[in-house]
Amino acid sequence: MKKLILILFSLLLLSACVKEDTYDNSTQGNFETLWKIIDEHYCFFDYKHQEYGLDWNDVHRQYSQRITKDMTQEQLFEVLGSMIRELHDGHVNLSSSFNLARYWNWFEDYPANFSDSLQRNYLGTDYRVTQGIRYKILPDNIGYVYVPSFDYAFGSGNLSAIFSHLAICTGIIIDVRNNEGGMLTSAQALAECFINEKQVGGYISHKTGKGHADFSAPQPIELTPAKGMRWQKPVVVLTNRKTFSAANSFTMFMKVCPQATLMGARTGGGCGLPFNSELPNGWLVRFSASPMYDKDMQITEHGIDPDVSVDISPQDWAQGRDTMIETAIAHLQSLSSH
Amino acid sequence: MPLPLEKEGMRTHCTMLGIGHLNQLDTYLSPQEYTGTQVRLLQENTKNTKLIHGRVTMQNLIQANGGYSQSRTDKGKYMSGMLEWQMALLHHWHVLPRLTLLAGPQLGTHLGFLYNTRNGNNPAQARLSADLGISGAALYRFVLWKKTMDLRYQASLQLGGLMFSPQYGQSYYEIFSLGHSDHNICFTSPFAAPNIDQLITLDAHLGKGTLRIGLQGLVRQSHVNEIKTHDWSFAFLVGYVKNFQLVLSR
Repeated sequence: MKKLILILFSLLLLSACVKEDTYDNSTQGNFETLWKIIDEHYCFFDYKHQEYGLDWNDVHRQYSQRITKDMTQEQLFEVLGSMIRELHDGHVNLSSSFNLARYWNWFEDYPANFSDSLQRNYLGTDYRVTQGIRYKILPDNIGYVYVPSFDYAFGSGNLSAIFSHLAICTGIIIDVRNNEGGMLTSAQALAECFINEKQVGGYISHKTGKGHADFSAPQPIELTPAKGMRWQKPVVVLTNRKTFSAANSFTMFMKVCPQATLMGARTGGGCGLPFNSELPNGWLVRFSASPMYDKDMQITEHGIDPDVSVDISPQDWAQGRDTMIETAIAHLQSLSSH
Repeated sequence: MPLPLEKEGMRTHCTMLGIGHLNQLDTYLSPQEYTGTQVRLLQENTKNTKLIHGRVTMQNLIQANGGYSQSRTDKGKYMSGMLEWQMALLHHWHVLPRLTLLAGPQLGTHLGFLYNTRNGNNPAQARLSADLGISGAALYRFVLWKKTMDLRYQASLQLGGLMFSPQYGQSYYEIFSLGHSDHNICFTSPFAAPNIDQLITLDAHLGKGTLRIGLQGLVRQSHVNEIKTHDWSFAFLVGYVKNFQLVLSR
């Protein structure tokens, strides 16, 4: 009995409280917390070091000098926002009650290549809508499907309804321009309507520790043919720089579909699955946590090039024509005439 | 505990309701600690067995609790829930006329969740574990204001088991939508999951009934896959005890 009690107390003493070392809610504490969260969880340090020489320790040295005890919350937000912009990542945000720090150069530095006014000339007002997806048969017997977001869950009933309605068309356009993402499961569900056998759409890995190179072996993201209606005829996927995150993943998945042509502008990228965390003062941090790769094990963080590059021309813009939709229609018609 | 402990067929059922303080940490969701309130329902059933000449009492503890906690700035919110079942076989020794000591092995299973109201792809953590441990108790019977009282202190320590955890940066999308596993079932020990339960109760025998008041402290922690978690809770409990004797047919 005495031995038992001795063992019990020994174990109690050895079992220290599980706590996390945190910083206080000061300007320095919030700065150090943000730097540490990114340092321990961000997934593209090595890639971005190769791409443009990112050195996160150097970022600490630069920005810690700008932190002072008496700076205001707005000034602190400005410095911390600038620091996370060093990551060149649209998935990295810092949000406070008064602002959202972001890196939007991935689309702000490029032509918009999308206008809902131009799109209205094709969609009109009599289009169908399900789960946010707008679809219509255009005059040339081409189906047009606009997917503005993957925020909604797409059920097989929704997707089958779309493809049943468009079944008479010679080809369809899946327009994911200005689609800034949403649920990967929805992107996957839509892509699975275009394959007839299991395909590896890409790969995903995750961090296994705090080190910048601590990653699991990439595992395949398997696409399984949809149980409902599947599209067998040609399809054009329209992209622009604002095709981001889950929409970038959808584009990546469509690269494995033999009847798909990617058309438009390079996507915005964003292939890191984002996680959230927070600072002592309550500001919410978002960062890329899990890297995804395409079927050739290439990181698509900075976008996917289309098979056919098209921009909306100023002349077409002035005449109310969407060059990208027009080119897609012509491409599908040429395929059907062969 | 049913007294006398050696009387075969003696059983005790007690239902207790409690409210208390909660301190939570889960570095998968946030590096910050959250504090708040927890409500707890505890059902304790004990019965004397025939094991080792009737010197073993079986104790079943079923607990359900729900919690709501906030970060220190009140901007982050956690909602949590846990359902637990623990079963102990406690050998007893009468060391003094009024004092009884009990000790024995304990089996526990735990199922629950912790939900952060504002996270995106890492909004929640599932809690699932099973463990073996050891439990010890001291019972002291005394008379106060002409009423018989039973004071109990019980502590339980988990020695080892299995628990579910995502890998350090692994999303639930990867685990459940893609079916990728990576060290998601982890072995636990007093070092990886130092969990200690403590319970103090006072039974006041009032006429035909027994009123029980208690204090319960639960220290639930883990440090696996580089993810640190803790749920420290302390609750005041009150309940009603039913003692009854099963009539055994020979």
